[in-house]
Amino acid sequence: MILYAIPIISQLETVMKHVLHWFHFNVGLTWAWSIVAITVCVRMLLVPLTIRQIHSMQNLQKFAPQMKEIQKKYKSDRQKQNEELMKFYRENNINPAASCLPMLFQLPVFIALYYTLKHYHFPPGADLSWLHFIHDISVGTTAQWGGYVLLVVYVASQMASSFFMMTTVDKTQRIIFMVMPLFFVFIIARFPAGLVLYWVTTNLWTVGQGLVTRRLVARAPAPTVERRSSRTPPKDDGSGGNGASPESPPPPSPAPSSTSQQRPRQVRRKKKRTSRR
Amino acid sequence: MRAPALLGVGLVWVYRLTFGALFPTTCKYHPSCSEYAVQALHRHGLVKGSVLAGWRLLRCNPWSRGGFDPIR
Repeated sequence: MILYAIPIISQLETVMKHVLHWFHFNVGLTWAWSIVAITVCVRMLLVPLTIRQIHSMQNLQKFAPQMKEIQKKYKSDRQKQNEELMKFYRENNINPAASCLPMLFQLPVFIALYYTLKHYHFPPGADLSWLHFIHDISVGTTAQWGGYVLLVVYVASQMASSFFMMTTVDKTQRIIFMVMPLFFVFIIARFPAGLVLYWVTTNLWTVGQGLVTRRLVARAPAPTVERRSSRTPPKDDGSGGNGASPESPPPPSPAPSSTSQQRPRQVRRKKKRTSRR
Repeated sequence: MRAPALLGVGLVWVYRLTFGALFPTTCKYHPSCSEYAVQALHRHGLVKGSVLAGWRLLRCNPWSRGGFDPIR
């Protein structure tokens, strides 16, 4: 291929080969599991970036109705619609979740893995782990029965990950993204099984990340209550009582006698409250 | 457009049809990074166009604000 003419890629390939060998021979993983381990390592390196993405995603959800209005307004003109949406982002200080750079970090890994699997034949693994169904990582996906399982998981995971990562509210665009994997299956069926495994793993990571994001959105108001209670104890009588009770156990230690001027007052107040209730 | 710039545009299309299509993520800028790259190569040639496109890619990170950012 044209890409292989670039000298860095052959170097990346040797690095990838060494990493795969390290996971297989030193850590003792099967070849399939070694690829999963590499994927997890890559995604873990990207975690600082994804945390930021999660925050911006939470922000984006708040503005969904206004964004839909803009889309309705400029329904006929896609170009104008995009421009207006981007302006809206800027005005409201929204940081769209998607960005190209984190995705591009995966590009060299992906290319390196592609060429490594193409050029070196990794002997089929013989140990019986549950990933044993991918018997040979460097053989085409459809050459083994496990490859078909992998393709099914790929479609499901790709759909799920694009569901979580989608930033557009546009319905047709959403449908296109969701249907796309059904067409890609025919292209990636020719790829080495190991490459599809990388893909599936990275997709599943994205899905997991999306699930965590959704939980975080639900839990978001919890920490703000705690902050209020610590800052303004006299005002938040109802909520502050709950927030202060877990903090009170450490102070009761009788050792600090000189610094305990404020603490007894709080304790007395709490006692009164509890007696009233 | 000169031949070197055309080569650059070709590379962008290789990306679009392979990796870009397989990992569909929408860009936070408008025009998108790849569209920006094509326009930059058209207008400023291979060297300056590539630099502009590279700088744009670096800006397309989770810490930037994104938005409407046409080529000048």
